[in-house]
Amino acid sequence: MDITNIMLSGVGGQGILTSGRVLALAALDAGLDVKMSEVHGMSQRGGNVDAHVRIGREVPSSLIPKGGAHFLVSFEKMEALRYLDFLRPDGVAFVARHEIAPLSPSLKEGAGYVAGVDVALARKAPSLVWVDAFGIAQALGDLRMVNVVLLGALSNRIGELAPENWEAALRDRFSAKVREACLEAFRKGAAHGRAA
Amino acid sequence: MKKLMLGNEAVARGAWEAGVAFGSGYPGTPSTEILEHLAKYPEVAVQWAPNEKVGLEVALGAMLAGARALVTMKHVGLNVAADPFFSAAYTGVNGGLVVVSADDPGMHSSQDEQDNRYYAKMAKVLMVEPADVEEARWMTREAFALSERFDSPVLLRMTTRVSHQTGVAGLGEPLSVAAKGFRKDIAKYVLLPSHARDRRHKIEKRLRDAAAFGDSSDLWNPVRRGASRVGVVTSGVAYGYVREALPDASILKIGLSWPLPMERIKAFAATVEELYVVEELEPFLEEAMRAAGLAVKGSELRPYTGELDLSTVERMLLGAPHHAVSVDLSDTAIPARPPTLCPGCGHRGMFTLFREMGLRVMGDIGCYTLGALRPLAAMDACLCMGASVGMAEGLQKFGGPKEKGRTVGVIGDSTFFHTGLPGLLDMLANGSDATLVILDNAVTAMTGGQPNPGTGRDIRGGATVRLDLGALCRGLGVTRVREVDPYDMAAVRKVLEEELAAPEVSVVIAKAPCVLEYRVAAGRPVEVDVETCTRCGACIRVGCMAIHEQGGYPNVDAGLCTGCSVCAQVCDAGSIAVPGEKN
Repeated sequence: MDITNIMLSGVGGQGILTSGRVLALAALDAGLDVKMSEVHGMSQRGGNVDAHVRIGREVPSSLIPKGGAHFLVSFEKMEALRYLDFLRPDGVAFVARHEIAPLSPSLKEGAGYVAGVDVALARKAPSLVWVDAFGIAQALGDLRMVNVVLLGALSNRIGELAPENWEAALRDRFSAKVREACLEAFRKGAAHGRAA
Repeated sequence: MKKLMLGNEAVARGAWEAGVAFGSGYPGTPSTEILEHLAKYPEVAVQWAPNEKVGLEVALGAMLAGARALVTMKHVGLNVAADPFFSAAYTGVNGGLVVVSADDPGMHSSQDEQDNRYYAKMAKVLMVEPADVEEARWMTREAFALSERFDSPVLLRMTTRVSHQTGVAGLGEPLSVAAKGFRKDIAKYVLLPSHARDRRHKIEKRLRDAAAFGDSSDLWNPVRRGASRVGVVTSGVAYGYVREALPDASILKIGLSWPLPMERIKAFAATVEELYVVEELEPFLEEAMRAAGLAVKGSELRPYTGELDLSTVERMLLGAPHHAVSVDLSDTAIPARPPTLCPGCGHRGMFTLFREMGLRVMGDIGCYTLGALRPLAAMDACLCMGASVGMAEGLQKFGGPKEKGRTVGVIGDSTFFHTGLPGLLDMLANGSDATLVILDNAVTAMTGGQPNPGTGRDIRGGATVRLDLGALCRGLGVTRVREVDPYDMAAVRKVLEEELAAPEVSVVIAKAPCVLEYRVAAGRPVEVDVETCTRCGACIRVGCMAIHEQGGYPNVDAGLCTGCSVCAQVCDAGSIAVPGEKN
């Protein structure tokens, strides 16, 4: 079974599930089967969030096994590290240059962020693409576009999906008010991904 | 026509296609979105019930009127609704009745991992188990027909990975179902022992008939012939893993999983050389297959707890996972991100006080269960919906002088309406002197902001009565009802001290609308004055995402801070204040 596995990770509220939905809509537009798995509930209160997206001609199950992801798209550096072992030996990690500190229970115990996370990611990832998603989104004047920029950066590598499939998905998912801004953010992300 | 949808949305779609007239239930992950999606079909009457038992009972009335009815709940919700569920199994139905139980293998958002397939067996009702989104749609649609054909409620058993799977579903045309109207039949609907004994025989016949139907149904229990000599019997979400792990195996997928199509299973077993059963959680199919004399491999090859995934099933069927893990994270400590109360949440000051006052807290189910986690760490027990009230009464009564005067039951508004109320009646009727704290944020918050009887609106946002908790408690006969503002910690402390000392039942109601639901901001963001900060860490220990250590000092994220001032109130040095205002 020829299935492309894309793992999305980040922190609650970053738009991870929305991104997964766009990816799934693009697959549907391309006439492919798709399954996505997500966890709701407790995870919304500042916890880490993931979405498993699997696309192919026939996709029987919805969870990506560890060691089975072709791509990891992470909205946050530490959350990229946490999910890094989902990547295949030939997998690629797209990571936003962004840090969100976890809650530290006591001032004396320190901030609790992984020291040297950049180095750890570079050393451990089979292949690593840094995405300046926040910089690009900021330049576009809307930090909510981070998720679309990341999808753009990923888009060049998903051979099954043509630019028009992505555009149809973005038009489907986003309201008229932000639609053009999303398409622009996506194109900026795609250009960034090609240059990387 | 195909559409991308969530599994729970597909259940709503299937029910609508079946001409369902009524939907009810109580919110609970992973079931909540079913009713929310059903409410988008204006022709269906949809409402949240105060608890699952009431939700099912209203649906029973609709069913008696001849309407098709759907009731939704999470797995533990069926424990609450078990009484009417077991009795409805005896009466059978007039209009079709489908009860959805969304189980949570792996306990992503639940206190237990119970396998509700046993409910179908114990109650002797039919059960169907979708494996993906499209099956969630058509199985729900067809479950209503099964219910009416076999005169049985149908248990639609979902799991987290089907409920919260997004996938491709077909779209069927809605059926036009004529309302049957009520038909008086006391031998069927009045369960006096003499009537029930007669129904008991009819139930056994219905199970035999349904098993024969399942034995012959290629739709519900399809066989996929493979080239290999291995055969697998499976159900629900496990099917997908089996397909991927063993693409050449023969597979019997059980969609109508109670009563079991045992003749079909035996016939399938006879065609393969090696027989496996792959199912999530308990060995439900396996026990029955072994009892039928089949030599089958199953639960001894898999973990007994938690949910399955492809690697687990590959380990089971192939000895090792197909995908080797090549990235080694064993030398990297990655701090967890435990879920926390939102910035500005009205519960934070309360739990900070419980911790500071050293109270013994009998907790309950909701966002505030997070008060048990560090750094708040102010909860001593939490079991199930509504239990805080009775547990506080019992602990106060039997804890001796050590627990006396320091025990509180802590419960949210929705959970109090759900099953907390009878506990308060018990306190009153049995002369308890315990203290109950109701955290009233006017919504069912943890599951995403569903209305409850204290919210004042219905599932579609229409205005309805807004029950006043204080008036309710006073009406029951509680003489000591105190309403407090949880953002004023000094005042709350004084009230708690008074009520803990009082020799009778006290109810303290902390009123603060949910910040996430009502988007209320108490004021402007606070700032930390590092000149006077003693770095004691008290502000960090209120456990707020908006306040972090940075360079050895606490630092407030102005984008997240709502100005609730709980961190400022715990700062002895007076170093935290809204700029321009004095602390």
